[in-house]
Amino acid sequence: MSEIVNAKYGITKKDMRQIYWRSFTLLGSFNFETMEGLGFLYAIQPTLRKIYADDEDGYKAACHRHMAAFNMTVAPSPLVMGITLAMEQMAKENENFDVTSINAVKVSLMGPLSGIGDTFFWGIFRVIACALGVSFASYGNPLGPFVLLLAFNIPNFLTRYYGLKVGYSNGTTLLTSLQKSGAMQLFTYCAGIVGVAAVGCMVASWIGITSPLAFEISGNVIEVQSYLDEICPELLSLIATLIIYACLKKKIKITRIILAIIAVGFVLGVTGVIA
Amino acid sequence: MTILQAFLVGCVSGLSVIEGKIFGECKLREPVVTGFLVGLILGDMKQGLIIGASLQLIWMGAVAIGPTPGLDIGTGGTIGTAVALMTNSGIEVAMAFGVPVSILMQFLDTLIDTAYSGPMHYVEKLIDLGNQEKKIAWVHHLCTIIYFVSHAVLTFVVVFFGNSMIEAIVTNMPAWMNTGLGGVAKLLPALGFALLLHLLLEFDLIPYFILGFCLAAYLKLSMVAVAAITIALAWIMFQIKSSQKTAVETESEEEL
Repeated sequence: MSEIVNAKYGITKKDMRQIYWRSFTLLGSFNFETMEGLGFLYAIQPTLRKIYADDEDGYKAACHRHMAAFNMTVAPSPLVMGITLAMEQMAKENENFDVTSINAVKVSLMGPLSGIGDTFFWGIFRVIACALGVSFASYGNPLGPFVLLLAFNIPNFLTRYYGLKVGYSNGTTLLTSLQKSGAMQLFTYCAGIVGVAAVGCMVASWIGITSPLAFEISGNVIEVQSYLDEICPELLSLIATLIIYACLKKKIKITRIILAIIAVGFVLGVTGVIA
Repeated sequence: MTILQAFLVGCVSGLSVIEGKIFGECKLREPVVTGFLVGLILGDMKQGLIIGASLQLIWMGAVAIGPTPGLDIGTGGTIGTAVALMTNSGIEVAMAFGVPVSILMQFLDTLIDTAYSGPMHYVEKLIDLGNQEKKIAWVHHLCTIIYFVSHAVLTFVVVFFGNSMIEAIVTNMPAWMNTGLGGVAKLLPALGFALLLHLLLEFDLIPYFILGFCLAAYLKLSMVAVAAITIALAWIMFQIKSSQKTAVETESEEEL
């Protein structure tokens, strides 16, 4: 027997587990029109059915509501699913409930949660996981891929689990209070400190662009690289990164930047300026 | 390469793509993982891992943020590693094939994502019909299945039928081509880190970028050491800023 989470609608822990597992397929039918809309509906549909068990029209309206465009970083999405279901229950119980507020809340959460999610999952967890994976794999140790997957997925799975739980039980009050206290912003900022410093460290230790150029002036061989090292070690790697960063800042398309890098890198490689 | 090996390599590529579809972006697409799998299939796990690790560095910053699909590093990494292992060559060859494939497949992904808005209208109709939950679920899953099959088949065709063609290209590659590609391989990782900076860097955070760079460049500290130092620093900043905030709050309360 599954434990009851909400007695009124007969929502059990089994239903919560179902949403949890279905949340992994959020991007399954990604498209440019509704984005993750169908994935979102797919995840919460069985529970919606239970909430609107005696209200066919309400159920259909709710399904249409959750087909609407939705797009966010996937890991924190179960939090939104939990909040959404809490709001759908409120809507079912109170006829005067403004159902447009449900999608308004979803949309308002997309931005900030994606921002935080991107910082943590793409910026921090992925980088750390890949760094660990590379450090094993670069000398052929088969632990590499397993370390990578574990390091990324432990936070991934936990965020989903607790997000859904907290979202459903604490519902709407949670995010407004966090946002009001400003603790969320400060936390993201401090996480950014670690992330940015890690990128700086990786620029210095992992790119390793050097120049094999050497001139001979009146019998003395002048190696360009040793002079560059005098100024700053890994200077060329830093310059390359900053130039590309400046291009990104100017909103030049990534495919164009890649093509430019390939062209420039090829020419510099053939002419022996960098290696 | 046997037909079974080509089939399995195709499956790795398909898997690396639907990872982001139904496995919650669990990172099977990363080249360290696909390199490992391709290495296992082609009988040289060690070399597969090493090539995977090098491709990983190139694609360190290959992030997919927002609604546009990112570089298809899953298919690119799989094909790149497979070609390098087939021809007994190194990272230059893996990159020469993997990078263009990852870009080309990104275009294909964009195309598919555009076409998928069609089925969404069908789902809206199913909702109105009522009691069509199974069909709705199938539309959702079919979208994923098409992704898997299209990428797996394309990869299979490239590594199985393209075998002799690829070998001819690789063995006839002139030396300047190699040094040129070496230069590209050196520059491309910088893109990754620039993308990460673009994602994370705000004006207030610039000092910490300088700090991280200098700790590694001048003092030669390891990643772990730099991470530990900056975590301590971030912690201190959190304490200072939150105490500032409460101080301001109590002040304004006193004024009232």
